[in-house]
Amino acid sequence: MKVIVCYKVVPEELKIEVNPDRSLSFKNVEWKLSQYDLNAVEAAMQLVEAVGGKASALTVGDQKVENSKLKKSILARGPEDLYLVKDEQLKEADTNLTAAALAGAVMKIGFDLVLCGEGSSDLYAQQVGIQLGELLKVPVINAVSKITPDGDRLIIERSLEDEIEILEVSLPAVLSVTADINVTRLPGMKEILAAGKKPVIEWDLNKIGMGHDLPKVETISTLAPEQVERNKILIEGDSELQIAELVEYIRRELK
Amino acid sequence: MGLLKNVWVFADKASPLAELCAGGRQLGEKVTAVVLGTEESAQQAIKRGADQVYWLGSKAEDKMFEDYTCTIAGLLAKHRPELLLVNASKRTKVVAGRLAAILGASVITNAIEFRTGEHNGDLQVSHIVYGGLAVRLEKPLSDIAIATVGNGVFRAETDSNRQGSIIEPPFVEDSCKLRLLESRVKDTESVNLASAARVVGVGRGIGKQEGLAMVYELAKKLKAEVACTRPVAEEEKWMSPERYIGVSGAMIKPDMYLALGISGQIQHMTGAKGARVIIAVNKDINAPIFEQADYGLVGDMYKVVPALMKNQF
Repeated sequence: MKVIVCYKVVPEELKIEVNPDRSLSFKNVEWKLSQYDLNAVEAAMQLVEAVGGKASALTVGDQKVENSKLKKSILARGPEDLYLVKDEQLKEADTNLTAAALAGAVMKIGFDLVLCGEGSSDLYAQQVGIQLGELLKVPVINAVSKITPDGDRLIIERSLEDEIEILEVSLPAVLSVTADINVTRLPGMKEILAAGKKPVIEWDLNKIGMGHDLPKVETISTLAPEQVERNKILIEGDSELQIAELVEYIRRELK
Repeated sequence: MGLLKNVWVFADKASPLAELCAGGRQLGEKVTAVVLGTEESAQQAIKRGADQVYWLGSKAEDKMFEDYTCTIAGLLAKHRPELLLVNASKRTKVVAGRLAAILGASVITNAIEFRTGEHNGDLQVSHIVYGGLAVRLEKPLSDIAIATVGNGVFRAETDSNRQGSIIEPPFVEDSCKLRLLESRVKDTESVNLASAARVVGVGRGIGKQEGLAMVYELAKKLKAEVACTRPVAEEEKWMSPERYIGVSGAMIKPDMYLALGISGQIQHMTGAKGARVIIAVNKDINAPIFEQADYGLVGDMYKVVPALMKNQF
């Protein structure tokens, strides 16, 4: 089975700073692999280990996808090779453009199955995998919590808010997996060393047959929300008297 | 504020559909709802604010909501509304994403506010990004804008005298071939945190699942709903996912929010900041929640909760 697993390079959220004008500063930000995508990588490796075949990793974005630590980190988790679509046009691409770039690359690589995470840990739109499947005109579904290969099809378990579904999916297909489909493995020193020797194929948008596709939404601003003013009255202790003080405040508010 | 000409809405459940119909009324001159379910539910959509309903009939036993995507895509392509509002369930996210790919649009997810200007093209939508750290204001550039909207963004309304038309479009065979072999209902409760007047929330500071019993008891006394943080629901699995507050969970707007053993991570607080009054109890004096609360008490919730229960509120 030829599996392509998609991942996104995202900012470490804790390092994003808020400027006095409420805009965001990324100057001290380190970039990392989106956490939920690691479950997709693990799912791909488990499938390939079970039925044979090959797993490839794929990401699209601006020059950030070139980060050598991240390239090594994704390959150390098992994929045999890595495809990067690097293009300045993909900087802060919307879901539509991201899905289109992935579709172009996936068609060029060839696939039986594409796996995505449940959402990126920065924007968490949970849209790219779905749009990718529709662009490729293959079966696509999200919230996949278990994958069982069965010949040229997969039996999947899907975990929704209040239902569990068992579905039969014929290949090729695109699936988004949940964050609890598996426990990801930490790569060891051997895997990290081997990762440096694995092939990395780099394309731009032209190479995958895309011209000047524009995003379908324009960002006007990204601002930290205005703080709601709070009283910030703090009682420093839980003695009977102090709890009684809290009770008094609650009573006054609930009147 | 100018209005859009046509707003379409659909949801896979009745209560978000009611909210979206009300949202459609706020934003558009004409509201069209796409309804899958009983004829009664189609009529309900009109009472909730739709002028027109495309009634897809009752869902066939072997089908999923998602199997109606091509039917809905055909209707949208024909009638070209400026805006489509969709609730934010896992199912409808699939439908919204496929519609976006078919219609050449993007999907603005977790929308929290809509602005319509003087002209039709002036729609702007804000939504939460970076786990609640920021709000992004976006302008759709496609002919049709698609947005998913969480519970509680719009308030449902009912007008039992409202009249509207119900149209039954033909079913279009879906292009996405998935076979539903089995479906079972998860053992979950239905809870609507978004409309709760009082909420008691617990975080990992509770330490053990057994502690929940006293929290439920206190909530009962306060006539409050019980909620939690995402880790309590998704990692510890001590409560159902319907009960977690946060960017990807419920956005609450209660009169009072009592947060127990909650540190105050931004993802959680973004969902809770609509509360009029926030009261926090936490062992750690440095917990960020105290910076975002009206009243805070530094202490052990296992001491504070039983003490609170002895009082009448």
